[in-house]
Amino acid sequence: MSKPLLKIEGLGHVYGARRGLFGTSPAFRALTGIDISVARGESFGLVGESGSGKTTLTRNILGLERPSEGHVLFDGHPVIDLGRGGERRLRRRMQIVFQDPQASLDPRMTIHDTIAEALVIHGPDLGIARSGYTRRVLDLLEAVGLGREHLYRHPHEFSGGQRQRINIARALAVEPELLILDEPTSALDVSVQADILNLLQRLQKELGLTYFFISHDLGVIRYTCDRVAVIERGRIVEQGPVAKIFDTPSQDYTRKLMDAIPDPDPDLSPLRRLA
Amino acid sequence: MALLDISDLHLSMRSFEGETPILKGIDLTVERGQIWGVVGETGSGKSLTGLTISRLLPNTTARYTGGQVLFDGKDVLRAGERDMRALRGGRIGMIFQDPTTNLNPSFRIGTQMVDAALHAARDKPAILGLTGRESRRARRRAAWQASVALLESFGLHDAEDRMARFPHEFSGGMRQRVLIAMAMIGQPDLLIADEPTTALDVSVQSQILRLIHRLVEERNIGVMFITHNLGVVAQLCSHVAVMYRGRIVERGPVSKVLKAPEHIYTRALMDAIPTARAQMDTLRGIDWPLRDRIEAEIAATAKEVTA
Ligand SMILES: Nc1ncnc2c1ncn2[C@@H]1O[C@H](COP(=O)(O)OP(=O)(O)OP(=O)(O)O)[C@@H](O)[C@H]1O
Ligand SMILES: Nc1ncnc2c1ncn2[C@@H]1O[C@H](COP(=O)(O)OP(=O)(O)OP(=O)(O)O)[C@@H](O)[C@H]1O
Ligand SMILES: [Mg+2]
Ligand SMILES: [Mg+2]
Repeated sequence: MSKPLLKIEGLGHVYGARRGLFGTSPAFRALTGIDISVARGESFGLVGESGSGKTTLTRNILGLERPSEGHVLFDGHPVIDLGRGGERRLRRRMQIVFQDPQASLDPRMTIHDTIAEALVIHGPDLGIARSGYTRRVLDLLEAVGLGREHLYRHPHEFSGGQRQRINIARALAVEPELLILDEPTSALDVSVQADILNLLQRLQKELGLTYFFISHDLGVIRYTCDRVAVIERGRIVEQGPVAKIFDTPSQDYTRKLMDAIPDPDPDLSPLRRLA
Repeated sequence: MALLDISDLHLSMRSFEGETPILKGIDLTVERGQIWGVVGETGSGKSLTGLTISRLLPNTTARYTGGQVLFDGKDVLRAGERDMRALRGGRIGMIFQDPTTNLNPSFRIGTQMVDAALHAARDKPAILGLTGRESRRARRRAAWQASVALLESFGLHDAEDRMARFPHEFSGGMRQRVLIAMAMIGQPDLLIADEPTTALDVSVQSQILRLIHRLVEERNIGVMFITHNLGVVAQLCSHVAVMYRGRIVERGPVSKVLKAPEHIYTRALMDAIPTARAQMDTLRGIDWPLRDRIEAEIAATAKEVTA
């Protein structure tokens, strides 16, 4: 087997005790003994309830938090203590698309500038000249289903879902190897979601991208991912091929998540009010 | 009289490039006891429809070019700003899609709840068990108690303690319950919930759905529930309206529309749902051939109507 692109070994994370305005908040253990290995070109899914530690894990992967135990290796190298140049290069190779498109776009910047900003920082590493930025921005917009007419608009002129496409375009702009997707399609209608998921699959084939995919929608995980890990209160309770985990879950927790999925067949919905 | 009656609503939004028509003739009637799911394309105008009902769009950019919105017989688009302020948070409760307009990160949960309660009580003191002649302090105390009671009834334990906390100290599910409580504190007759469960995991989502279901059972309110999740619609709603580019292309009882969708766009949506229970080869998004057929079907219907 080839060397994994992402390797997480024995990772633990404790949020330190803090003295705040309203007394001391005790130390909180958010992650324990996480072992995950993601091969280049693979799609790895992460599912778990709110508060189970998913965001904490991604922050550790990105090198934004220092693990309390264990370590994260990207392409064989640690993700922390890199120095400035090393950090910038790593930032380009690992991108993240957040769930909340609102919070991650600067309201004062046009869409062109939002995407070109990433190119200004990483353009030299990518071999893209300044004169090529607009062309590249247009290509990216087209890839996510937006057009030339959107180029000089501001975020507030887009719907929630359109903004998420802009986010994806921005993340792709720097040609990352690993894309961390934190609920990337939860703001989109299911057709656009299908478009984006298909787009992500196509880009993966063309560019050999690796995905670390977080979603509350287990259907999305099944469609997109090869393997999945189920996280409960900071521990991985099971991981393996998606079909195996979802069809024959070994844990009650996974079964509970599966059972809570609302089915689009109205006959299977006990809560529904009759018209 | 219907609780909410939107007829032939046309809305244009102005920007420096000119005016763009956004809503192109929306008809929607919500009766008490009904839960309307509003689904549809990203950018089709679901949120703007919701915001129109409580007239929250700035009139510098929003121009209503036709139709009307009646809330309990009252013409919302022509009502004075004072009347509207009383409706909002009073008879109409709202949960916004935009998280930044929902909870202010710099104020304690309790402060925000109490403000919402006092606002609603200005016109309806009875919701806090008041007559309207009490002192400021007595009103605040009543607002505090009502808030605690409501949060507790929504399954938020230790509500009294939680009121002293800030939004970031709450998990996503807890915050969402607070938002629904804030929207409900004025005992509204109509609840407009814009994607209230989108950020939540399936277990918390199902708690929230039960909560809304219970509110309708107990208080016989009307609900407009905007969502992308057709599973949620099937689970909770009595009716559904499917929006596409500023129009409602299909509507009706959930049992009918989701069981036997008639419009090609509704079918496209149903076909695009990924399931966790089986491996799917390819989901079909909306490609150009499909979009052309959708547009053709809409044009054909429009012709029938005018003919
Ligand atoms: N800065 C922090 N200080 C202290 N505790 C924190 C901090 N950030 C997160 N936590 C706690 O760590 C746990 C895991 O949080 P995390 O944000 O990783 O969850 P999550 O799985 O991403 O949840 P969600 O699905 O709601 O986004 C939670 O109990 C949370 O309260
Ligand atoms: N302030 C604004 N100025 C100009 N256009 C706007 C404004 N707000 C929204 N729009 C446009 O109006 C249309 C409808 O937006 P709306 O937010 O109602 O969509 P939506 O159906 O709620 O979409 P989503 O499912 O993505 O939330 C979109 O095309 C959007 O670009
Ligand atoms: Mg998170
Ligand atoms: Mg919306």
